[in-house]
Amino acid sequence: MLVTLCVLLVAGIVYYIAIGYIANNQLDTSLTDEIEEVTAYVNLNQRLPRPIDFDEDQTSFIKTGQKTIPRIFFDTLYHNPREKNTEAGRAVEGLITLKGENYKVIVTESKEATEYLTQLITGITLALTALLLGILTITNRYILGGLWKPFYHNLQQLKAFNIAGADSLDLKETNIDEFEELNSAMLTMSSRVKNEYQNLKTFTENASHEMMTPIAVITSKLDTLIQDETLRPEQYAQINDIYTATNKLARLNQSLLLLVKIENDLVQDNYVLSLKEIIEEKLHQFHELIQSKHIGVIYTLADKEITASKYLVDILINNLFSNAIKHNNVYGTIRISLSGNILVFQNTGDEGPLNGGEIFERFKKSKTSEGTGLGLTIVKNICSQYNFKLSYYFEDPLHTFQIEF
Amino acid sequence: MKLLIIEDEQGLRENMEQYFTEEGIICESCTNLQTAINKTSLYQYDCILLDIGLPDGEGFTLLEHLKLTGKNECVLIISARNSLDNKIKGLNLGADDYLTKPFHLAELKARVAAIFRRKAFNTNSILNYDGINVNLLAREVEVKGSQIILTRKEYDMLLYFIANKGKVISKNAIAEHLWGDEIDLVDSFDFIYTHIKNIRKKLMDAAHKDYIKSVYGVGYKFL
Repeated sequence: MLVTLCVLLVAGIVYYIAIGYIANNQLDTSLTDEIEEVTAYVNLNQRLPRPIDFDEDQTSFIKTGQKTIPRIFFDTLYHNPREKNTEAGRAVEGLITLKGENYKVIVTESKEATEYLTQLITGITLALTALLLGILTITNRYILGGLWKPFYHNLQQLKAFNIAGADSLDLKETNIDEFEELNSAMLTMSSRVKNEYQNLKTFTENASHEMMTPIAVITSKLDTLIQDETLRPEQYAQINDIYTATNKLARLNQSLLLLVKIENDLVQDNYVLSLKEIIEEKLHQFHELIQSKHIGVIYTLADKEITASKYLVDILINNLFSNAIKHNNVYGTIRISLSGNILVFQNTGDEGPLNGGEIFERFKKSKTSEGTGLGLTIVKNICSQYNFKLSYYFEDPLHTFQIEF
Repeated sequence: MKLLIIEDEQGLRENMEQYFTEEGIICESCTNLQTAINKTSLYQYDCILLDIGLPDGEGFTLLEHLKLTGKNECVLIISARNSLDNKIKGLNLGADDYLTKPFHLAELKARVAAIFRRKAFNTNSILNYDGINVNLLAREVEVKGSQIILTRKEYDMLLYFIANKGKVISKNAIAEHLWGDEIDLVDSFDFIYTHIKNIRKKLMDAAHKDYIKSVYGVGYKFL
């Protein structure tokens, strides 16, 4: 728009100057003719012409002592005798010799006609410019706007594209070949990407499932092996280690499967649950584990109902509890508070705050932890599944996990 | 008790058979759906252990078949898929329980015993084992005529031990039974030791007999 305006402005100026120049040129030619005529007249009649002899032009003769006067053209004022006003004029100076005397002759012609022409042309140009600008604005706003509308709609769709989501791109059809081509390319690309992603997820899920059977075989072999009481204590110790490793492998696998499930939004048995009851139940369940570390539990629970899957909420609270117990000190403290929309789990443990950005990431765990490193990731994913706000902060000496429902 | 194990994974099937085979239990096994359907049509079983992922189809087909032919065997589903949908589907089709791989053989046996008890509940709600009488309805335990008070976990553990009598049970298996496999357990098994100590003492005081034998660091055996 601005560019158009500038170009038009420059074109206007160039136009104006060019027309002015051409008009002057023409006037100058006409003035040259006039002065030739005057010279011819003087030479023929051997007298100076009266001013009226040359129709609209005004001619004046001034006696001069100069021998030569170069013919020069200049802008001057023109007194219109009829309209009694002053207009812009163009004049030429020349030298005439009459009876041995030199006269300076000045012929002035009104520029009004050409001025008028220039103004008219400028006016038309300006009007055209304004019209063009108007039309451009209108076309831009309405016609082109309508033309680009599908494009912006599709762009919005592309921005909102979620690889894990179920919806495919909803692209607007257009009559424009280029856009249509872009649309089909985007559709092909998005469906291919989704397909690949789905394949990858299915692969992860299948791989994890397939691993469960061999793990089951190992476990059952171990269970059978320990029935043989002729084994030596060292062999039992080895078996114990295999048990631990297998157990960890199974747990890791289950956690990965659970993450896939949450990410795929496959757990949807939502019910209204009393969070207070669930936490109380878990307190009971974890009682022995808490006692074995001589941990003191302080809790204040208000009634709070949430709509979610019992399965996932159980896991959420389980993981918060095991986290608070596992990373706690012997004779440490756990504080649980549920009030309003906020659930807070606090526990003593290692000194100093943890890296709040990292702890929820997969396989991030403290060096001493024997866990899978997926517990808090699962907590985070369950929270984001239900749009709960999960945060970690350190309130010396308590590590605090807060969930806002 | 007659048991049918339907499992295509050879290693697992053999161990299950071996673990269950004892006095009074007859184990049969097969590896695919078709044989399983034939067997259940021909013979009467008390309990069926059913794998869902079989080479020639899903185990659910057998459940449908059993329902259709009006059989009421106890069925325990063993599946590599820990999916809520599958669990619900199986239970709706008449299965009695659902166990996810991997599992401990002791857990499997305890589950089978529990299902079996539930089915036989009408006739007998008292479980006897070597001087220990468990009233399953009232959840009360009597040893040599005197009642002993057990916590909920101790009671669960006693039933678990009785179901796996004479077998060495690993600490892993006990922990998983008591706290479920969803809980990421604390590294040490000290708390199991505490439980065992308590239950052992209570039984000793009443019966003057040590029922629980510790097997090197690996587990315990109920005698």
